[in-house]
Amino acid sequence: MSVLGSGIFKGMAVTLKNFVGSYFDKERLTTNEYAWQANDKLPERAGDYPKEEAEQLSDTTTVTQYSRNFPMLLHDAGEPMDTVRCVACQICERECPPQCIYIEKSTEKKERSGNKAQFYPATFDIDVSVCMSCQICVEVCPFDAIVMNSQFELSTPSRFGELLLRRDDLLKSNDYYYKIHPEEASARDKRIADEKAAKEAKKKAAEAAKKKAAEAKSKSEAEAKAKEEAEAASKPTEPSDTPPAESTATPSTEPPATPTTEPEKEGSAE
Amino acid sequence: MTLDLIKDILLATVPLLIIFPTMFALTTWVERKALARIQNRIGPNKVGVPLTPYGGKLSLFGLGQPAADGIKMLFKENIVPTGADRLFHFLAPILSLIPSMLVLCFLPLDFPWLNGEQNSVKAFMLDGAVIFFFAITGLNTLAVFMAGWASRNKYSLLGGMRAIAQMVSYEIPLVLSAVVVVMIVGSLNADNIAKAQEGWNWFVFQPWGLAAFVIFFIGALAETNRSPFDLPEAESEIIAGYFTEYSGFKFALFFLGEYIAMFAISGLAVTLFLGAGAGPGVESLSWLKIFWFLTKVCILIGVMIWLRGTLPRLRVDQLMGFAWKFLLPLSILNIFVAGFAWHIKDANKETATSVVVWIASIIILYAAAKGLDRVNRAKVKPRTYQYGE
Repeated sequence: MSVLGSGIFKGMAVTLKNFVGSYFDKERLTTNEYAWQANDKLPERAGDYPKEEAEQLSDTTTVTQYSRNFPMLLHDAGEPMDTVRCVACQICERECPPQCIYIEKSTEKKERSGNKAQFYPATFDIDVSVCMSCQICVEVCPFDAIVMNSQFELSTPSRFGELLLRRDDLLKSNDYYYKIHPEEASARDKRIADEKAAKEAKKKAAEAAKKKAAEAKSKSEAEAKAKEEAEAASKPTEPSDTPPAESTATPSTEPPATPTTEPEKEGSAE
Repeated sequence: MTLDLIKDILLATVPLLIIFPTMFALTTWVERKALARIQNRIGPNKVGVPLTPYGGKLSLFGLGQPAADGIKMLFKENIVPTGADRLFHFLAPILSLIPSMLVLCFLPLDFPWLNGEQNSVKAFMLDGAVIFFFAITGLNTLAVFMAGWASRNKYSLLGGMRAIAQMVSYEIPLVLSAVVVVMIVGSLNADNIAKAQEGWNWFVFQPWGLAAFVIFFIGALAETNRSPFDLPEAESEIIAGYFTEYSGFKFALFFLGEYIAMFAISGLAVTLFLGAGAGPGVESLSWLKIFWFLTKVCILIGVMIWLRGTLPRLRVDQLMGFAWKFLLPLSILNIFVAGFAWHIKDANKETATSVVVWIASIIILYAAAKGLDRVNRAKVKPRTYQYGE
């Protein structure tokens, strides 16, 4: 039996504790005062400010590593367009729900440092006034080329055009990614490395298997040949059970083909 | 003669028109700050007073926010939906503001600069003040439904209909709990009610007074559409309810009307139960009466804000069930308890009897409330989940 209305008072005690606690307990009040000074020069264009990644970092230090805002394009260490991961496959463009990505594929492939020649995005625009930060582009990208940036200083004096981020505004290094989303970046790189290792292991295994299969094949072929020869040699001696066997064998176009490999070939062809 | 009359009228009404809208502006700021702190946020803290045109400002914890909001509201576009009834769409916000402003005149505020020979000159001196109060605040319902109907929007209409259902049901316990005080004092005049509670004879210290005050406060929350009874404007369900289609200054008027109604009904609660202007030091300094009155109103408003930060919104059936099955029987019983207590006290003036009556009425009222709670709760079956678990 509880006192009538005690639930309300319990609830009010909780809110009072929060109300008073937020004045004294720094842990409780998690909101950071926005570090904005009146004398700060405002950006003219969304991509303009801050130009340097180092400067951008100071902007993202006020938010947690789990925050996300708009997508950016990753490149590995080196010249951005030399090491850009994007191959302009346009999957993200197709998947984007509000259709804010616009990609133009390059006409010819370009040599990448450390990788084979690939297409690259000649144009890669993201209209951040349309983007809804859903992260679907990040999820569908098979090349881990697009991830979320946490930069939020994007206001501009104009409504049109200036919120369109161009390819060069979007290109960010993997190091920068590590700095703003350390956990996510290391998890992603670990996965990439694992996948690569698994792929190589598989490739190696496949090669080994192929080699083995080839060896086995040549071996069995040799054996079969020997057997056939032996059969052919023993044919005239047993005429009673050869006629049905010969009638099925005659339509085959390759009389020397061995009976052991034939069914396998048919299966793979179909 | 006429000049004196005009002077008196101005002296009585202008303070009301200054005090309460100012309190409204401050209350919006206090409410935002308090709700923010309850949710461990900071709340508005940037808007301040600019010192020079080139920079530098006095932040004052964001106290400039009400002014900024007001300016924004004034300059916003006035949008009227194509299919709306333009006349009533225009009239509704005005009609919602007028009754709540009018009702302020009945509050027993004795301004010291009014002539002291007469007992008190008020904006509106009426013997049936309490009845008139309820009659006029009832108009607010009409304004709300007018807004919902004239907007030609399903959400607005739903909000308006909810408002009518809610206000009509909560008006009854509200009036019945006020009846207790009227019955004991023997007068509907707000001044007489205030006089009956001078010193520390506040009615809230009586068992029936406390019960009536609680019922009155709950009813007042519902009457002014405050959380947890803010169904007519439930954001998560019907956008903004009856003022979905209002913008700019009309919206500001609705907002103002709502807050003024809050002050008015808190003022009535203070008058009826919390001793009106009574408080320490009133005998020597008469203007302290106004101070104490407004302080009590502010405390009640603070509790309203606190409750808003605490309680979730009720469901429609819970809302109606609470009014009709709990508050109404309890307030009727309360009238009987108060009557019996008064009669016994009147016949037998010993302290012992009054203590016995005091304790007995507390037990009766609490047992009745508990029993009603039980009866109402017994029908609630444990929830079964079709797809959950």
